[in-house]
Amino acid sequence: MSQSIKLTINNQAVGPIDVADGVMMIEFLHEYVNLTGTKFGCGAGVCHACTVLVDDEQGISEVVRTCINGVERFNGKRIRTIEGHAKQNSLGEITALSPVQEAFLEHFSFQCGWCTPGFVNESTALLERLKRKPIAKDQVEKVIEDALSEHVCRCTGYVKYYAAVKDLILNTKGLTL
Amino acid sequence: MISSHQRHFPRLKRIQNLLSHNLLLTLGLGLLACSSSAADDSNSSKSGDIARGAYLMKIGDCVACHTAVGGRELAGGLPFETPFGAVYSTNITSDKETGIGKYNYEDFFDAMHHGVGINGNLYPAMPYTSYSLLTDEDTKAIYAYLMSTKPIKQANRDNDVSFPFNLRFGLKAWNLVAHDAKIFTPSKDKSEHWNRGNYLVNALGHCGECHTPRDSLFAMEQDKHFQGAIIEGLEASNITPSELNRQNWTHGDLKSLFTKGYSRKGTVFGGMYPVVYHSFSYLTDDDMQAVSSYLLDTDEVIEPQALTFNGHKPELPGYTLYKGYCAGCHGQNGEGKPNVAPAMAGNATLDKASVHNVVAVMLKGINSQHYNSTTSFYAMPGYADELHDEQIRDLANYLRLTWSTQPGNLDVKTIHNLKEVILK
Ligand code: FES
Ligand code: FES
Repeated sequence: MSQSIKLTINNQAVGPIDVADGVMMIEFLHEYVNLTGTKFGCGAGVCHACTVLVDDEQGISEVVRTCINGVERFNGKRIRTIEGHAKQNSLGEITALSPVQEAFLEHFSFQCGWCTPGFVNESTALLERLKRKPIAKDQVEKVIEDALSEHVCRCTGYVKYYAAVKDLILNTKGLTL
Repeated sequence: MISSHQRHFPRLKRIQNLLSHNLLLTLGLGLLACSSSAADDSNSSKSGDIARGAYLMKIGDCVACHTAVGGRELAGGLPFETPFGAVYSTNITSDKETGIGKYNYEDFFDAMHHGVGINGNLYPAMPYTSYSLLTDEDTKAIYAYLMSTKPIKQANRDNDVSFPFNLRFGLKAWNLVAHDAKIFTPSKDKSEHWNRGNYLVNALGHCGECHTPRDSLFAMEQDKHFQGAIIEGLEASNITPSELNRQNWTHGDLKSLFTKGYSRKGTVFGGMYPVVYHSFSYLTDDDMQAVSSYLLDTDEVIEPQALTFNGHKPELPGYTLYKGYCAGCHGQNGEGKPNVAPAMAGNATLDKASVHNVVAVMLKGINSQHYNSTTSFYAMPGYADELHDEQIRDLANYLRLTWSTQPGNLDVKTIHNLKEVILK
């Protein structure tokens, strides 16, 4: 059996594409649309390396793991993957990284980079949430921990990821009260 | 992991209900005389098998309630929130001043069997209505064990229960009308195993406190023994022999469920996880066999039947939902993934007349469960914010039609009504 899948990825309409039955979203991204930036870690929903953002009509995003969710869950939705964060020119060349990406570079947050797409997506969703609903400064560490605690990194020991996000939140206008 | 210690205590809801609905009623009866009868045959013997007492304490799961989060074992202080304020569990270490060190055996017997402590009546958060079935010998063993514990000086916290619910004579009245202290009598026409199981399940394990519905006085309705009841938004299942046998539980399935938390018929969740973790996983092989003989009402071997899978029906709306949301963990054909998610095929939660838990789990998810270094289950997300009532209906119907013997005839109204109870 196959099904027809249509969605918006990083602001571009994709599909309709015929997709075989039983295809997980990560496989669809890799094999059907050649977006290989989303990384496959545990494949069992534990490490959160494979997360992408699913945006609703109000632009509020949900962080979803692609290794345990079938492509059907994303049919008709708008999603963002790691490929959609940096600014690109008309030739597809990167002209500027997103603030979260910059912060991770500055803080040497990652080493092998396998977990990075997941951290970028989750941290981006967090920043967008704080923009809508700023928090007190003394809440920042807790909020970061709550958001990132499920993300596994085997290289850098988390501190530099957490420090980067903290730095970014405290130094971005409007995220804290 | 379980994030809040409160989740360990599904009985909490019962206590809240008990306090809210019945104290006013029983307060009215409070002036009636109430006698706290002394133990029949008790001599304040401190003898008894301490090791056996320690085992019995495990199976009774005493530590779970009598230890505060991060607190010293058995020193009490765990709050039970009620609409009228908090009731705190007490220090039951051997400390003479703040624990139960000054209790003689009769005092202890009265607390365990009649809910009467030396400072007055206990709130029925303490399951003395079940413990009253304990034999004298076992009560002595537990007493001996507690008296052998290291004394911990930790004053009991005053309950923050407000007037008039702080008047404990209401509890006396409740005891008078709702608590019927019985002596455990083995049934002659049942095997020794079965009788041992009955004792473990009903007296020590106090399973009925959650699995038996309550009457208007919130006493267990004995004619509906083990027929299931709603607690904290989940249904403590019907665990009568007829229901368990209908679902084809075998002795091995129950053993696996109680010792490892998972089985051919699914995993435990909600309030049963801490029960397995802290208590049942310590059952000896003999006692485990006794428990399953009693629950299944047979000592005979039960043949496992093939797990139900009626084949996919892609034309149904639930099919796409299943593939999109569930198949990644529960398997394309519902076969499950070891240590990640239970199978849908043969799943006892699906194969119940009541769809309550199926909907509750979809809406609220399941916390992750850790048993040991090789056995853990990852959390299941809840979809209350994402799936609307029609989708929950379609998915629940699909799961039932595909992997159980139940009909797929739920309507939106049923889901809507369930949601109100579950998300309350
Ligand atoms: S790869 Fe998806 S959670 Fe690990
Ligand atoms: S940088 Fe290697 S796993 Fe995180």
